[in-house]
Amino acid sequence: MKYLIAMFALLAPVGTAMANQVSLDSEVFVERSAEAADGSVTVTLEEPSRVVPGDNLVFVLSYENTGAEPADNFVVTNPMPEAVVFVEAIDGGAVYSVDGGENFGPLTELRVASEGGVDRAAQPVDVTHIRWTLTEPIAAGGSGQLRFRGVVR
Amino acid sequence: MSTSRRHYRVSSARTLPIWLGVLGPLFLASTAHAAPTPAGTPIENTATASYDDGGSTVTIDSNTVSLIVDELLDIAVTWADPGDVTTAPDTDNVVLTFTVTNGGNGPEPVVLGVDPNRAGDDFDPDAVTLFIDTDGNGTYDAGTDTLYDPGSPPVLAAEESITVFILGDIPSASDGERSEVQLTGTAATGSGTPGTVFAGQGEGGGDAVVGSTGATDEDSGFYAIIDADLDLTKSATVLDPFGGTTQVPGAIITYRLVAEATGSGSLDNVVITDSIPDDTSYVDDSITLDGTGLTDVSDADAGEFDGSGIAVSLGTVAGGSSNIIEFQVVID
Repeated sequence: MKYLIAMFALLAPVGTAMANQVSLDSEVFVERSAEAADGSVTVTLEEPSRVVPGDNLVFVLSYENTGAEPADNFVVTNPMPEAVVFVEAIDGGAVYSVDGGENFGPLTELRVASEGGVDRAAQPVDVTHIRWTLTEPIAAGGSGQLRFRGVVR
Repeated sequence: MSTSRRHYRVSSARTLPIWLGVLGPLFLASTAHAAPTPAGTPIENTATASYDDGGSTVTIDSNTVSLIVDELLDIAVTWADPGDVTTAPDTDNVVLTFTVTNGGNGPEPVVLGVDPNRAGDDFDPDAVTLFIDTDGNGTYDAGTDTLYDPGSPPVLAAEESITVFILGDIPSASDGERSEVQLTGTAATGSGTPGTVFAGQGEGGGDAVVGSTGATDEDSGFYAIIDADLDLTKSATVLDPFGGTTQVPGAIITYRLVAEATGSGSLDNVVITDSIPDDTSYVDDSITLDGTGLTDVSDADAGEFDGSGIAVSLGTVAGGSSNIIEFQVVID
């Protein structure tokens, strides 16, 4: 997919001079911590060849505007994989959905129905989607990353 | 893009420990009430983005990252009896109850082992056997629950718990003595240091990874001997017709039997009997138990005189209790 986007970036300017192109790359790392003899804990990130329940994951979404024009109103949405519990956003400005992507808002303003029909405040575990909306256009050649954490159920 | 990724990995080495410290409890909370993801489950992540392209909105998908959840090997063994299993000496097939849990995320055969010969206890049970609670009622049922077969260990589904019984024959042992018996459960795929990988041996063809329990666990249950003995002490006092203590015809002898149970157990069906001495006659209705009079006929009360001796049924007597029985005879 990444490769196809790159090809699109090469071909597109021929079609429309006004076009800009933004690529989006998704990566997942697993945090592994190792305790040394002196008690200090070193945490490393690995591109996982395997994960098991309880593994802490870092999702990294990288975007880059490879076109010649700024890209406005850039919105990135990442549905949580079913086997992953959302933990926290590393990069600020995220909004969340706890209803499968219908409604988005700050987590503190979201509520979920619980048994007995009583609403309760949404918790990170309830998050089904995370979304960032960039307030500034991505300049031509501009890039950035949006990151969040999850844990394998 | 590869440049920015590398930058992230370098910077994360410094900053991640701080985040982890803050987030520790949150990880626990979020995983505690969810069943683990089954081994072999794919985790696929795709993000979507949209942006404005000179008036029209363009939507793009990221690449899809796909991971497979490997099998986690975690076994827990817990002694399930509320406390020492008490037993009389020389009792066969006394049951200790354990719970064995597969805390992993895939079905796993659990190999069981029992060690009845622990150091530091007072005695060891004989003829120890292991049974699986086949009907799942938590109680050992002879003939229903199945003998553990080392060649075919029970396969526990992810998160499944089973009840395992240890049956042991209790030897001659004294009141208060204890015996420790240890049950070990180990994942058949393998065990060892958490994080150990058994490549290709996981459920669904992935790897199997040893979890925090080391994929093996053990717990000990205890037998405790409860036994009791009865000490019987007999004494006599004489009252002659003249108010003295001379053993003359017509003198009344009051016999006093003190039955004292010792030990921490209890004794069932205790009956105290005493025959009437020669050359004496029993004084009708003179039996008392702890100061209360009893009738001579065999009836609802505990006392009885059958013409040659008295009998008092004490029923079940607990260790530490004592009963006083008195009766009278007249010297002929």
